[in-house]
Amino acid sequence: MIGPLFPGLLAAAQGGDEQAFAVLWRDLQPAVLRYLRVAAPAAAEDLAADTWVSVIRGLARFNGDEQNFRAWVFTAARHRAIDWRRQAARQPVQPLPLALVVQQAAPDDPAAAVLEAQSTRAALALIAQLPRDQAEVVALRVLGGLGVAEVAQITGKRPGAVRVLAHRGLRRLAKRLEAAGVAERGVTR
Amino acid sequence: MSDDDALAGDMQRLLRALTAVPPVADQATVERLLDGRLNPADAPPGYAGLARLLAAATAPAAREELAGEQLVLAEFAAVVQSHPPTPVPRRATVLTKLASVKAAAAVLAALLSIGGVAAAATGLLPGQAEQAADQAASTTGAGVAGHDVGEAAVAGLDGAAKAGLCQAWQAGQGADSGRRAESPAFRALAVAAGGADSVAAYCQDAAAGGAAATGPDAMAAARAGLCRAWQAGQGADNGRRAESVAFQALAAAAGGADKIADFCQTTTAGSAGTHEQGPSASSPSVSPPSTTVSPPSSGPPASTGPPASTGPGQGQGSPPTTSG
Repeated sequence: MIGPLFPGLLAAAQGGDEQAFAVLWRDLQPAVLRYLRVAAPAAAEDLAADTWVSVIRGLARFNGDEQNFRAWVFTAARHRAIDWRRQAARQPVQPLPLALVVQQAAPDDPAAAVLEAQSTRAALALIAQLPRDQAEVVALRVLGGLGVAEVAQITGKRPGAVRVLAHRGLRRLAKRLEAAGVAERGVTR
Repeated sequence: MSDDDALAGDMQRLLRALTAVPPVADQATVERLLDGRLNPADAPPGYAGLARLLAAATAPAAREELAGEQLVLAEFAAVVQSHPPTPVPRRATVLTKLASVKAAAAVLAALLSIGGVAAAATGLLPGQAEQAADQAASTTGAGVAGHDVGEAAVAGLDGAAKAGLCQAWQAGQGADSGRRAESPAFRALAVAAGGADSVAAYCQDAAAGGAAATGPDAMAAARAGLCRAWQAGQGADNGRRAESVAFQALAAAAGGADKIADFCQTTTAGSAGTHEQGPSASSPSVSPPSTTVSPPSSGPPASTGPPASTGPGQGQGSPPTTSG
């Protein structure tokens, strides 16, 4: 989050100030990329770049505060992810993005990797293993820093549904991690 | 029952607790987890691992995540070139045009008068200076830059805000760095610099580029901006304003919430715009002059002239709380 400087930075970026835009980008890009690693793991980098292209093109027309801006950017990212999944589904050979990511990030169990190394990539891979609805809501809430109402608007779900999905997702993750934790600590006997 | 048995029993219970479905955390706990406001150490049983996972997922940016910056900025530059920006809905009335000219003049005046304002800047405590620097961007930046101002003025204010932050950062070096590092202003500075450890170099660049000359004046601009926002908002949701960091800073600079009116009158007195001030600035409860009614985020700063136009020697109302 940028905070009090945001309105000035946004106005400057809308006026064409490259440095101001760079600050906005540096602040939000990691979150966008991480969201996309959950939503479309194999294409996250490309889709993040595409997302920013569309943000740049629409920037002059954007009107709102920092939370609105974040929601707007994540809406664009989500559209890219949905398009990509649609295309990927049409292709004869299904890519195995998740397996790849998990392999890259953590050769063993991502849950154990999270507990050991607190690896960001492993954490994202674990979230990505949730059922899609849950993964998306958890990612938008946690990575995007968005509120229930904003996530509801972005995903077209009711706020109540967003809450339930987030809670279910977290419970599932907690269970998974606790199981890994028990095994890791060798408590079982 | 031996101690061993008791231990085994405890262990069994612990195992059951760990391997079974985690205890249902209350809504508040889950919400805190979702907001990233729960320290893993404080997580309830069954959720410590989850808290660590979420902390890992929201860890500070890695260098590789910011690798595409040059490409994105090139795209930005290309789009700006092909579609010269037409920012925000234009309300190009004579008044806003006038305000734009005034704002540009204010920046220019701020650049020209350094001496008198340095005193004003040192009158602010480091913490206040930092908050004021915050505000230099958010009030003057938002209020002015958002409204049909020439690009020169936008660039100038941006530079002034940056220089103000850098100045506050440099002034506070060695003194409670931890607290400073956590403040939004300095996180923004760190983001702008590309990392907390790059702030020194970044600020050096800012100084070398001549932006440092505007440093002290960023404080004056911040004060004028705060006063403008305060005057514009008089009568409108005072409670909220009074609680904001910006207005606390203003109150601190003025020596008390009840002295803001006098303080702002001094700050803005002598400017070309003072004919609009009239007697209204003498009391906080008086409604502002008609041209200043619009809130800071949506209206042009039409009420005040150049913030630094009191010039050297007139003392910007002399630093009110030098004792603290």
